[in-house]
Order: sequence, then C-alpha cells, then structure tokens
Amino acid sequence: MHPAIRVVLLTLIGLFFLFPIVWVFLMSFQTNETILRIPPSLVFEPTLQNYTALISGRLETGAGVLELAFMQNLWNSFVLSFCSVALSLLLGVPAAYAFARFKFFGSEDIAFTLLSFRFAPALLVLLPLNLYFQDIGLNDTYIGLIWVYQLITLPLILWIVRGYFEDISPDIENAYRVDGHSWFSTFMKISIPLALPGIAAAALLSFIFAWNNFVFALILASADKQPVTVGALAFVTASGIQYGQIAAAVVLSILPTLALALYAQRYLVEGLSLGAVKG
Amino acid sequence: MYEKAKDAVDACMRKGMSRRELGRRLGALGLTAASANVLWGTASTRALAADFDWMKHKGKTVTLLLNKHPYTDAMIADIQAFKDLTGMEVKYDVFPEDVYFDKVTAALSSRSSQYDAFMTGAYQTWQYGPAGWLVDTNEFLQDESMTAPGFNWDDVLPNLRQSTAWSGVPGEALGGEGAKQWALPWGFELNSIAYNKKMLDGAGGEPPKDMDGLMELAAKMQKDVQGVYGIGVRGSRSWATIHPGFLSAYTNFDQRDFTMEDGKLKAAMATPESKAFHQQWVKMIQDSGPKNWSTYTWYQVGTDLGAGASAMIYDADILGYFMNGGDNKEAGNLAYTAFAPNPKAKGPTPNVWIWSLAMNSFGEQQDAAWYFMQWACGAEHALFGATKMDFVNPVRQSVWDDETFQKKISDNYPGYLDQYKASAPGSKIYFTPQPLFFNLTTEWAASLQKMVAKEVPVDEGLDQLAASVDNQLKQAGLG
Amino acid sequence: MATVAEGVRKPPRRSFGESALPYLLSLPALLVCIGILVPFVTAVWYSLQRYNLAMPYLKGFIWFENYKILFTDTVFWHTVWVSLLYTVLTVGIELVLGLTIAMLLQRSSAFNNAMSIALMLPLMIAPAIAALMWKLMTNPNFGIFSYLLSLVGVTDFRWGSSPSSALFTVVLVDVWVYTPFMMVLLLAGLRGLPRQPFEAAELDGVPWTFVFFRITLPMLFPYILTAGLFRMLDAIQQFDIIYAMTQGGPGDTLMVFQVQAYLEFFTYTNVGRSAAILMVLWAITYFLSHQFIKYWLRLRERARGVA
Repeated sequence: MHPAIRVVLLTLIGLFFLFPIVWVFLMSFQTNETILRIPPSLVFEPTLQNYTALISGRLETGAGVLELAFMQNLWNSFVLSFCSVALSLLLGVPAAYAFARFKFFGSEDIAFTLLSFRFAPALLVLLPLNLYFQDIGLNDTYIGLIWVYQLITLPLILWIVRGYFEDISPDIENAYRVDGHSWFSTFMKISIPLALPGIAAAALLSFIFAWNNFVFALILASADKQPVTVGALAFVTASGIQYGQIAAAVVLSILPTLALALYAQRYLVEGLSLGAVKG
Repeated sequence: MYEKAKDAVDACMRKGMSRRELGRRLGALGLTAASANVLWGTASTRALAADFDWMKHKGKTVTLLLNKHPYTDAMIADIQAFKDLTGMEVKYDVFPEDVYFDKVTAALSSRSSQYDAFMTGAYQTWQYGPAGWLVDTNEFLQDESMTAPGFNWDDVLPNLRQSTAWSGVPGEALGGEGAKQWALPWGFELNSIAYNKKMLDGAGGEPPKDMDGLMELAAKMQKDVQGVYGIGVRGSRSWATIHPGFLSAYTNFDQRDFTMEDGKLKAAMATPESKAFHQQWVKMIQDSGPKNWSTYTWYQVGTDLGAGASAMIYDADILGYFMNGGDNKEAGNLAYTAFAPNPKAKGPTPNVWIWSLAMNSFGEQQDAAWYFMQWACGAEHALFGATKMDFVNPVRQSVWDDETFQKKISDNYPGYLDQYKASAPGSKIYFTPQPLFFNLTTEWAASLQKMVAKEVPVDEGLDQLAASVDNQLKQAGLG
Repeated sequence: MATVAEGVRKPPRRSFGESALPYLLSLPALLVCIGILVPFVTAVWYSLQRYNLAMPYLKGFIWFENYKILFTDTVFWHTVWVSLLYTVLTVGIELVLGLTIAMLLQRSSAFNNAMSIALMLPLMIAPAIAALMWKLMTNPNFGIFSYLLSLVGVTDFRWGSSPSSALFTVVLVDVWVYTPFMMVLLLAGLRGLPRQPFEAAELDGVPWTFVFFRITLPMLFPYILTAGLFRMLDAIQQFDIIYAMTQGGPGDTLMVFQVQAYLEFFTYTNVGRSAAILMVLWAITYFLSHQFIKYWLRLRERARGVA
C-alpha cells in the first residue's frame, strides 16, 4: 500500500476514535458555563474544580456543600472487576486447559454451555436472582456480585485461554511429566507460564467488560457498592446536568484500565491467538 | 452537618433579621418556633417532644432509598435535627435519578425489607400500591398515638393530598371514596411557563396568554433571535413527555386521557377537540421546538433555557427556578408566568409531579419508619428546606405563607410567587389512575413522536393510538 | 528442556484419576455458572404466566399466551427486524473497519503499538456514559459535531432524533465503542500468521488483492469468527447505547429486544411479557451461536486434518 494512503487512513481513523476522547478530556477542565456555549468553542480557562470535587468528595454549589461518593464508586469498580477476573482465572484457566488438552465425553457440550452464559440476557436472570439472593443472604454483598460478574468474565477468559492452550504443543508438558513430575506441577510450572500471554490478554479484556458493567450492581446492591458507571450518572439531577463532572468522571474511570492495558500491552497482541490453527 | 446548618443560619441572622424580629416571629407562629429547633438546638426539641413521645423508637435505625435530588440534599442537611429529636439513626442509599425507579422496582419486587421508606412519584404508587408493596399511611395518620399533634395534615395542600390517594380501583378518581393514602406529599412541581425575560424584552415579546399566543411568540422568538429556538418541551420516548406541559395544556381544553363507561376504561384521545389540540402542539414543536426534540427529557429542556438556547419552556416550574441560579449563563434573566392555553378556561390547569415518601410494606419497623416520615413531611423540616436550601415547591400552605420564604423567593426569583399563586388552585394530577399508566402513556409519547416526525398524520395517529390503547385495556381486563 | 522433549512423543498412560481429571478441571467453572440456571428456569416459568406486578389479581398460568400475543403483534416483528438489522450493521462495519485498522497496524513498531493502545480508549468508557457524551456532542446547540457539520453547510441533520438518522446515529456510537475490540482480536490474529505464504507471494509478484482474499482472509478466518461471535452476542442484546441515546424512539424506530424487555419489566412491571420477549431473544442467540460454534469446530477439525 502506498505510504501516503496509509497516513491518510490512519489520520482519519485516529480522528474518529480519538477526537471524542480529546473533547471529553477538554470538557473535564471546564465548567458547565463554558461547555454549554453556542457555538462550542475551544477557548476556555481551564479549571480543576471538577477533579477536586470528585476526589475530595465535596461539591460546592449555590445551595451548599454536597457529598459525592465518586471515589467509593471507583474503588467498588476496582474491587468488583479485579476479584471477578481473579475468580474467573482460577476457575476458567483449568477448565480451558481441560477443553484444550482432553477429548472427553461431553467436552464440547460443557464448553458450549459455559459460553452460552454469555448470551443469556442479563435481565432474564437478574430479576429472579434478586429474589433468590434475598433468600440465601447474598444480596448486597460483594461476594454475590462477584459471582454474578462471572457471567461476563468467565466465558471470555475460557474461550480465549482455551484457544491459546491449543496452540501450545503438548510435547513439552509430556516431556516434563516423563521426568517424573506430577500433573499438577507440570500444569503450574510448564503449561501456565507458556500460556501467560493468552491469560493476560483475556484477563485484560474481561476486566474492561466487567468495569463497564452497569446493571448487576444497580439491581443487586445498595448505594455503597455501586461502580463508577452508576456513580457517573449522579451528575444528572433535577437541578440540571453537570457535564464537566461527568467528563472528569470518565477520565478518572479510564485511568485504571488504561494503566492495565499499558502494562499488559506486550501480551495483548501475542496472547489473543484464539486457537486458530496455524498452517 | 448540623453544625453547618446552624452556622449558616447564624450567619443569615447576623446579616438580616434582628433578634427582636426573630422573637416576634417565634411567638407569632408555633410552626416557626418548631422550625427554630434547627437554630436553638435541643431546647425547643424538648418543648416539641413534650406533647408527643418522639423518643419512643430511640436507638433504632431506619434505612431510606432516595433519589439524587435537591430535596434529598435538603433533607440530609437537616437530618441531625431528626436524630436529636428521636434518638434514632438514619441510613440512606442515594441513587441517580436516571436509574432510581429501576432500583425501587428491583428492591420492592424482591420483597426486600432492606428499605423502610423511600421516595416515589404519585404515578408510581398506582403500580406499587396494588402490587402490595406500600403501607396505607391512613393507618398512621388517623392514629393519634402515632402522629404528633403538630403534624397538621390539613396544612398539606388539599390537591396534593388527594393526588397521592387512590382506592386502587382502575379509573376511580384520586382521593375519592375509600382512597388509601399511598404516600405523603413531600415536594412538588407544577407545569407552567418560564421564559428568558432579557431575550423577550430584547425582541419585544410579551409572555403568552393562550395557546395561539404561545405558538406565535415561540415562532417570533425563533425568527428574531439568532441561534435560539422558541420553546422547550420534552419529547423523549417516555411517559415523562406527556405529563408536564403537554397534559397541562391538553387538560385546559377539557380533554381527558380516558372515559369511564360502566366501569370500563376507554381511550379518549381521538376526540375532535383532542385532535385539534394535538395538531397545534405538533406544529408548535415542528416550527419552534428543539431540533432534537425526540431525545429531550427534563435536563435538556432545563439546560437549554439556562444556557440561552431557548426562549422559554413549558415544563416544571422548579426547572425554571433552578436555571435562574447556579453557574447557568442566563441565571438572573429568567421569569415565570402562569399559563392557561384555552382562552375559555377559568384558569391554568397544571398537571403536577409530586415527590412523596412512601413506606415499604415489607419493612420490619414500620412504626419507626413512620416517625421518620412524619418528621420529613412535617412543617419544621419543610420550612428549613424551603428557606435554607432549595426545597421548592413546598407542599405545605404554612411554608408558602412564611415571610422568610416569600422574601427569599421574591428577591431571587421575581414573578415566581405570582406564577405559583395563579397556578396553584388548578394544580393536581389530571391522569386517570390505572395500572397500565406507564405503558399507555409511553405509547402516547411514541405516537406524538411519529406525528412530529411526519410519519403519520395527527388524526390518523390518534385513531391508531386510541385503538391500540383500547386493545391493551381489554387484554388487561380493564376495557 | 528441549532435549527432553525430543524423542518423547507419547503421553503417559492414563489412570482412572487422570480420566476424571478433565471433569475435575472444568466442573468448578460449570458449577459456578449453573447457579445461574435456577433463575433462568424461573424466568421461563414467568414467561408462561399472565404476570403484571401491578395487577396481582390477574396472575395465572396461561401457557403460551404471552408468546402468542407477541407473535401476532406487528410491533414485535419490527423489534426482531431492528435487532437483527442493528446486529448485522454493527458487526459488519466493525469487522471491516477493525480489519482495516489491524492491517494498517500490522507491523510491530513503537508507533503502531502506541496507536493500538490509544485506539482501545473508547472501549474503556462504559457504553452508557459514552452515549451520554455523544448525546451532548450531537446536540444541535452545544454539540461539537453538529457545529462541525454546520461549518460544511449541513444544518438540519438531526442525529438520534429523526427516524431517518436514528439508526445511523446509534450504529455510529456502537462502531466507535466496539471497533477497538474487533481491532485487538484481529491484530493479534494478523501478527500471529506465519510469514512463509506472504513471502512466497511477494517473490512471485502476486497482486495484493489475491494475497488478501486467498491468503490473509482464509487464514484469519477463525479469528474473524470468534471476534464476530462475541460482538454478535453483544450487539443483538444491545441496550446501553440505544436506551441512553433514544430510549428506543423516535416512535418505535429503535425498539430492540432489550429495550422493549427492559421497559416491560422496569417501567410497566409486566414480568410475564418481559420474560417472554427475553426468551425469544435467548432462542435467537442460542441458535446463532450454535451455528457459529459448529462452523468453528468444523473449521478447526479440517485444519487439524490438513496439518
């Protein structure tokens, strides 16, 4: 391809995907007064008040000081996403290994069933679940939420990691075992390190999806366990909408995932081999 | 928080009111004296407690489910007064308005006892009440041992008391025979016109007198003022599009949503008068409404007025109130007018939205919850909210009569009180209470959208709507 | 280690413990998810009932009446149509765009890697909040996009609020949010492809169209299938973006499954009908993903056979 075409294409793509982000970033340094101008303008005096309000949890308004729970929301998002992914890895990686390595009775059926949890409409299970959680005392607990979050994180991890295991030749594992090591130590010492890129990439993607979830915590938990997605809506109230604070909330809520993505960057591309058999 | 409130009040006193005047006011109204417990701390709390055992539930904790709202902010700012008065603890869960009712439905439908009391609108009680999720507060209101003598239920505006009471029989009038008081009115908004006075003055416009005048003015403003549209009304695909300005105007032309014949409900939107009104409304939006009308809900309508993108709004009066303050560009430029679209009407007929407090029937400490509700809906707290915070509109006559409140409003929101006084007598809920309220009203909004987008002519659209509504009423055994 | 691996080809013989091993490994995951099955069955039960929370006196078992009402309702068929159209459009566009970007960034360089991370940013914003931001940016008064359009002379484009452009608008936001997901998976696929076929093609001077359609695409197909599968599962269940942008309007233009089911439950408290709608959605997704997986497994078997 001609380099000039490539440059033009990449510029267009960059503009489309990144311009809204840049615009939101700029909005986060403005007050409603400068955001809501006709026509919109790039000239403004930057202010940190949105960030200070979110981080300190205190919003000064004409009517007095209001408490904001945004940092708590951020923390909740982190706890929920992190623990859900950790649990999914614990459950999903061995299962993925089993599906990749062994052909056993019902293996494809079990694998499909696990994937199918990804397409059960969340609403469908949430509402009865809300009733049952009440009975077994799991409603309004982090544990209950992390369990339900498995619907998002587990299928993705299972599917991607399975593919990665299938790409790794079993020979190395076999050799290690012949050396007299147990299955478990082979799995821990050989299989998992080899599959690490796949595991990291799957973990990152499912972390992002868990982070963006909205409805589970809303239905199943009280206000002190709500994630940022719900928290960011608190700036839409009867007395108006605070765009600057929503923008700042967006920026703050991107940071943790962005940091993870940068950290896991080298695995990201390497790790998503998806079990495509290479010729 | 309590200390803060006290400081604020102290500061306010230092600035304005003399000690003598305060004393006079204290003496003049028992009510104001009670409100002063915020100022004077426990002394008056003890006095108030003398004729009623407020401490009966000392040590208990009530849990509330609340919507993020200025009313909630005002309540939280005053909550220490309740704790001091009763020795009770209060925990609260605040959810954003966008998802608030989803949370309520989720919590109540799972028969959760987690929340003792919660905020609700009156329309929602038409579902929650028959579903068995609410306690009929008449049980408490009529029990002298449960309700403090100073509660003075009659002080609450009669239209609002009625609008939050219903027998549960589909189609039966609100507040009629055998009505259950599903919720206590807490704060409310009525629908009238707020306009940008600076803009109107600049273009030589006068506040509208009737529907034709409104349409003319909206068109004129749009034409004369660069980059501004004439009138802001809601348009999103939701029942919330129908209930503010639209239903207020519709009612003013003597139109109803349903008729009752032999105990059966029947759609009434396809009358010739209704069609004529819909024609006007649709044309008004097409000619001078917001361009993105069909995505507009309350905050866009308000934001546009506050940022000078629209010349006026026909929506909740408190939206115009909030946009006249804060960091809004047009703060200080807004004015209000009561509005009767039908020249033959006796006066305005604003439909109202009532934020109310209701009690969870699955709650395990209903007596304690009632103590909270009667405090929160009581005159003392209402006065605190109205004078020190943005708790408008209050639901109690005594607060409207309070001089401090009147002065605060007339100083900062010129014309608001006059608008209120003219609108209030005709202000109530004009919908027919029935359990399909939300789907049928949302469908109404969807068909309005189709008419505005010219996907269907108005007459035909209304015929289709009426047919569909009748069909659904039949399916549910109501029609 | 490599030296050990040589010469050892056969796995060790399996004991009973070992043949139970795969079950032991996969069972915990299954058990955790099976807990979800109970509410699922409850929901099936709801869908067979006349069950509106606001009218408890009408509650009763009515077999397939809810489904019958749905299937005889033109609005519902519109829902099926819009949901499928939305799915085909978004997955299709995201696939083409994602593949294009992946090919542009195929070579591993500092710039390309940085770009691929930067392009993932939209994925990191919750769709519900992203839609709120897009709503502001497409506002005719304050919106930067509306303003930019007006600079090139388009002043009457109404984005989400006109029936003619509503679908375009929500698809645009969906593409913005989810193309990065497609891009990441396909980029991984592209970079993982073996070099030889491409080098050989280059030596022979084969035209790029041939290389693309006969070598790249077929080899990339398993990736495309998986990425497409996950995107399809999300797209047919789209809720956040559409609800936040237009609530399913204007009129019934964007009334997709999840929005309809959500309204039926949360706003209309009609549990029976909501469950019935979701069951239909579930059946469609089940069928589609079953086809996907079957095809995927066959493809893999074939590839194995060749290898």
